[in-house]
Amino acid sequence: MRPRDPLLSAQGVSKSFGAIQALNGVSLDVRAGEVHALVGENGAGKSTLIRVMTGEEAPDSGTLHADGRPVPVLTPATAHGMGIRVVHQQPSLFPDLTVAENLALGVERTHPWQRIDRRARRSRARALLMRVGASIDPDRIVGSLTMPEQQLVEIARALGADARVLILDEPTASLTAPEVDALFDALRRLRRDGVGIVYISHRLGEVLAIADRVTILRDGRTVGTRSIDGLSVRDLVAMMVGELRPDHTRRERASGPVALEVRNLSCAAARIRDVSLTVSQGEVLGVAGLVGSGRTQLAETIFGITPADSGEIVVKGKSVDVRSPVEATRAGIAYVPEDRRRHGVIVDMAVTANATLASLELVSRLGLIGRTAEGDATARFIDALQIKAPSPLAPAAALSGGNQQKVAVARWLMTRPDILILDEPTQGVDVRSKGELHALIDKLAGDGLAVVLISSDIHEVLSISDRIAVMRNGAIAGVLQGAEASQHDVLAMALGTDRIPAEPS
Amino acid sequence: MSKALDFAQDAPLDAARGKPEFAIAVALALLMGVLASVSPAFFSPGNLRDLFVANLPVLIVAIGATFVILTGEIDISCGSMFAVCSVVAGQAAKASDSVGVAMVASVVVGAMLGAMNGMLVAYAGIPSIVVTLASMVALRDGLRWATGGTWVTDLPMSFQWLGMPAVAYPVVAAIVATAALGTGAWVLRDLSAGRAVYAVGSNRSAARLAGLRVDRVRLMVFVIAGLLTALAAVLNSVRFTQIPSNTGLGLEMKVIAAVVVGGAAITGGRGTLRGTALGVLLLGIVGPALTFVGISPYWERALQGAIILTAVGAKAWKR
Amino acid sequence: MKRVLLAVLVIEVAVFAAAAPNFITAPNLFEVVRLSVELGLIAIALTPVLVTGGIDLSVGALLGLSAIVFGMARQDWNLPVATAMAAALLTGFSGGALNAAIVARLSAPPLIVTLGTLSLFRGIAEGVTHGAVNYSGFPPSFLALGQGYIANLVPMQVPVLVLTAVVFAILLHRSVVGRAWYAIGLNAAGARYAGIPVARRIGLAYLLSGLMAGLAGIIYVAHLGQARADAGTGYELDAITAVVLGGTSVFGGVGSIGGTILGLLVLAVLKNGLSLAALPSESIGILTGTLLVATIALDRVRRIARDVSATKGEGELDVKNSQVAVICAAIIGGSVLVAATNVWLVRSLTTAPTAAAAIATVPARPERVVVAMMPKAKGDPYFVSCRAGAEEAARELGVELIWDGPTSLDAARQNELIEGWITRRVSAIAVAVENRAGISSVLRKARERGIRVLTWDADAEPDARDFFVNQATAEGIGNALTDEAARLLGGTGEFAVITGALTAANQNAWISFIRKRLAEKYPGLRLAMIRPSDDDRDKAFAETQTIMRVAPQVKLVMAISAPAVPGAAEAVRQAGRGGDVRVIGLSLPNINKPYVHDGTVQTVVLWNTANLGYLTVRAAVQVVQGSLAAGATSMDGGRLGRAEIRGSEVILGPPLQFTKQNIDQYDF
Repeated sequence: MRPRDPLLSAQGVSKSFGAIQALNGVSLDVRAGEVHALVGENGAGKSTLIRVMTGEEAPDSGTLHADGRPVPVLTPATAHGMGIRVVHQQPSLFPDLTVAENLALGVERTHPWQRIDRRARRSRARALLMRVGASIDPDRIVGSLTMPEQQLVEIARALGADARVLILDEPTASLTAPEVDALFDALRRLRRDGVGIVYISHRLGEVLAIADRVTILRDGRTVGTRSIDGLSVRDLVAMMVGELRPDHTRRERASGPVALEVRNLSCAAARIRDVSLTVSQGEVLGVAGLVGSGRTQLAETIFGITPADSGEIVVKGKSVDVRSPVEATRAGIAYVPEDRRRHGVIVDMAVTANATLASLELVSRLGLIGRTAEGDATARFIDALQIKAPSPLAPAAALSGGNQQKVAVARWLMTRPDILILDEPTQGVDVRSKGELHALIDKLAGDGLAVVLISSDIHEVLSISDRIAVMRNGAIAGVLQGAEASQHDVLAMALGTDRIPAEPS
Repeated sequence: MSKALDFAQDAPLDAARGKPEFAIAVALALLMGVLASVSPAFFSPGNLRDLFVANLPVLIVAIGATFVILTGEIDISCGSMFAVCSVVAGQAAKASDSVGVAMVASVVVGAMLGAMNGMLVAYAGIPSIVVTLASMVALRDGLRWATGGTWVTDLPMSFQWLGMPAVAYPVVAAIVATAALGTGAWVLRDLSAGRAVYAVGSNRSAARLAGLRVDRVRLMVFVIAGLLTALAAVLNSVRFTQIPSNTGLGLEMKVIAAVVVGGAAITGGRGTLRGTALGVLLLGIVGPALTFVGISPYWERALQGAIILTAVGAKAWKR
Repeated sequence: MKRVLLAVLVIEVAVFAAAAPNFITAPNLFEVVRLSVELGLIAIALTPVLVTGGIDLSVGALLGLSAIVFGMARQDWNLPVATAMAAALLTGFSGGALNAAIVARLSAPPLIVTLGTLSLFRGIAEGVTHGAVNYSGFPPSFLALGQGYIANLVPMQVPVLVLTAVVFAILLHRSVVGRAWYAIGLNAAGARYAGIPVARRIGLAYLLSGLMAGLAGIIYVAHLGQARADAGTGYELDAITAVVLGGTSVFGGVGSIGGTILGLLVLAVLKNGLSLAALPSESIGILTGTLLVATIALDRVRRIARDVSATKGEGELDVKNSQVAVICAAIIGGSVLVAATNVWLVRSLTTAPTAAAAIATVPARPERVVVAMMPKAKGDPYFVSCRAGAEEAARELGVELIWDGPTSLDAARQNELIEGWITRRVSAIAVAVENRAGISSVLRKARERGIRVLTWDADAEPDARDFFVNQATAEGIGNALTDEAARLLGGTGEFAVITGALTAANQNAWISFIRKRLAEKYPGLRLAMIRPSDDDRDKAFAETQTIMRVAPQVKLVMAISAPAVPGAAEAVRQAGRGGDVRVIGLSLPNINKPYVHDGTVQTVVLWNTANLGYLTVRAAVQVVQGSLAAGATSMDGGRLGRAEIRGSEVILGPPLQFTKQNIDQYDF
């Protein structure tokens, strides 16, 4: 290995899943002793790229090099052996063990018959935790920690694991400012030690603060790799989003009476506090915000997955008590979840079964499902939404992501809701289906449905919404009028204006 | 079955969990209190000694069962294994005229049977309830077939009490029990392999990612259970001069009940041998206590079931 | 998967049809179905539970409890049959509700919850009946439900099974609830997000499972004519096996009622065929366990193949082929075993099949005489010793002896085996009856088909058998024991009884005669307590220890279960109280020799069990050959000399008392 060879590099990597091209000739290299940020909108290909670089996915084409030498086949085990570590957003910890143990397992190279030196473990744990600025007692059971605490433990674990390449995926999503600072100190120390760090984040302000170089991905392609010097948030946004297209040609929508009103909604379990907003019939309310700002949690509270502790939900003027999805559906609220594969569709069930799952009363008589009624109802939606499936009876797993999403939407449209909440509906969806979904949302609003659109795609939010609610830290930071809002405004509100470094002129 | 999933989506768990053994210690204290007032004869040293000796096999098997349950699995074949190992011990003693050989033979058989269970669970991926349900029946029926129902009699003199004087047995038993409990607890607490058991039960996928040999761990806990069951079988058999062909009936229920009542989570990752020992104590006392207090013995099984349900229900309620 | 199973079933039927001519007749096939009804009801109701990804191990115990409730309602409280049935159903419903509440509402793991309710239900049944009570004597109109026929062909309970299957099939495959069950099994979280009331639906599955256990309990009582606390023991394994064999996945989301029915039939036919082939009952348990494990292993392979293969069609096809291969190999292997080990089968293929309904006297057959003899439990050393004598007689007389029975006390299994023997057209059946009421009808059926029937050790109804070989009456045994106790205690004092399993009919009969004898002749003698030992030596040991402590005034322990005597003796010996506590009981000589010799056990009462078996076989053969007919007053007992016959009872002789003086003369 020559002194200047990157620790890990991917060149011209392409990867597709069925009809969707997730990566198209993407290159990224990580040098020793640098923090290399990776930014891009949701669906731009960041996670896929990371999975290729950690050996969890094999690329269709392209090459990987480690220390200058080609790596023909990379598996998670060999990647681990090479010192490549990932800290995902969801902690992968042992809930029943102590913090100290979690920090030791997989990190210490112990022989099974080796005695555990608990004191040494504890002090090592304390040291690691201090490095990330977490004041957590190493003897606490991990299951009793809060999410941010768990995330810190995860990061501490990666730090302690002799990482040579450390990949952090949205590490600061649930951290407070002082915790972020402590983390950055730790990262700088690692950088000094020659570790190569890949830092994925939506928090562009932080990216500017910590990174040396940044690679921007858009629609599966590398837009460019730049040194961070001289870049501003606006520059980054511009590269992430593409040319600032002239604003969104949107039809003026006439909106009717208020369909959904949320007053002072709080839920400790969902970590949202004092949320109030309204959505009118025929209106599309976009909900923007950074990852972890509480958008999905708000939706799940309204939908009854995590019932509210206090506050009110009013549907069409009547106050409703929503304690479960069953009650939400009955109240006329529909929710297409963010996690399509786990919550949106049941992949092993047929398309028809998925489509009718929330409205079985409509296709059944005396509790018995009418096969023809079910088939007809589904056919109507397959037609209306242009769902491409091998057959209506094929399992949802046989459909592409975009079509699966349409099935999920069809399911909820079939319940004839008053309010439809869509959570990241176009994430991981091909371009054509994306367009079709946008047109559908437009049409639904035109027909008088109240639509709430949660999306991390700022462009999408801006182009469709009548109004945009921006969330930050579990509360509404502000509401913008669609016609007047710009990407910059949304980002500013999402980040909190103190986070954006001053802009030149 | 993915605990990782629950973990990620749960609200932050109750920090004030407290020691689970607290509840069972309280229950024990209450029971003792009732006994002390109604029938103090229960606490005569002879009775206590006899109770201890009678429950020793349950305790030793329960140690093995704890290991299995900690990884999130279950073993309901221990009763049948107990019977097979008892008969093997007897036959080996007769054939070789040596208690030592008998013990070795029994332990080897126990380990092999445990390995069979473990391999089907760990490498063939069959749920442990099914594997051990099948082996429970197969072993019991196979034993009956092989023995034709006859007892093993005419054992060598050196067999009963391991060739020692009878009074020495309870002492030896106590030593073995303490050693087994102590070793088991030490392994679980202080050895890397022991912590791996907890890790596998707590979050199997994370354990794999952390580089732990998950399949190996799952196999080994069943082997340990088999070994300990065989040890218990030998220790129990030497109390007598003959070995029936049908011992250990209902042993698995007692053992699992003891482990669960002692605070272990049936889904794995949580539990201690201390709790198991208390569980064995509680459930071992309940039956005789009923007699001493004068209640009909026919309710013992129902009481066992009620205790299990209370323990499980209470834990679920707390969550 | 269902096509595979159907193919397997067809192959099985074909193989057994070729090997045993009477197998393929409509009556036999219907009998196969009848015997599976209780199990079938439970398995059908278990299917939705597994589809939701759960499990219910308490079904067998709930069957038993419901049976007991029915018996109690009818016999103890004199309620009309319909009300008693309602009570039984209510019991099942309540049990299911308990499971539902804890599993669905509290989200506790179903495995351990139903393990707990298993204990609870079985325990309540035992507690309420003191284990001892055995309800019988139900009105014939009720018994017809379980023992009668429609149009002389179809067993009465079959329509119940069919109806249940249809209802559940509609519920699972066509209803809103069933759709929810599948969704929950495939992805419970996803189902919740789809607005499905997950807890309610899961709860319903367990509720129905309990309800069906209640119904099965009623049918069980009608079928066997008795209600006991141990009814339904072990049904869980068979039910789960049938369900899983039928294609339902233990992981949830996959399964069908049709598959369960097929799995049930495959198992039932397998059991029936194996019995016909005279393979011992133990092999069934082993085979069932193996089948269960193999099927799930294949299911796993199928799942992995499906996840891995891009084109789904291929993966499934590959696995189907290997499934067929394995199952067929197992069945064919078993059938080869059948053919190879059984000369009779080869013989029967060359003999022209006789007309089915032969009546009354059967001329001496030129072909080999086959005596089928059944103990109450194969594992009991008492019966094991009888077998030695039986085999001796069979050798002497040159006849073939089939020895088979349930591995533990199981009335239903006795009936099943006898049905198989009827199909096999053995020459004579000799059975130690576990369940007098229920077995009598099937024995009558055997007689109708020209098979001679004898009972031994415990009797059926007199018109169901030709002769009863009796070693001693229950009264005689009770008296002998009581008299011996009185003699040893000098007419005054306290003694305790250690009995066997709580539900043992014989022992309960002896106990009632003991009490009677006490009341009549020994007012100074008091029965302090009765403790169960579950036929477990170790438990008898522990119970005796407890008795000595709780009631130190007890001076004699009477153990009336064979394994219990050495257990009690060891306890007395170890406690050093051999001087003042006597031990007597009913047991076998060999296992008591050491204790009799050192004086701990004074007397062991029994009869020569080997002789009992010997005499029974001799009587059976003579009845078949016509040399022993009704009205005889004595018979040729071979080496026993002449044996007295009183009415239709062949008397073995007076009971033996084994003491220090004579015990070494015996070896069994």
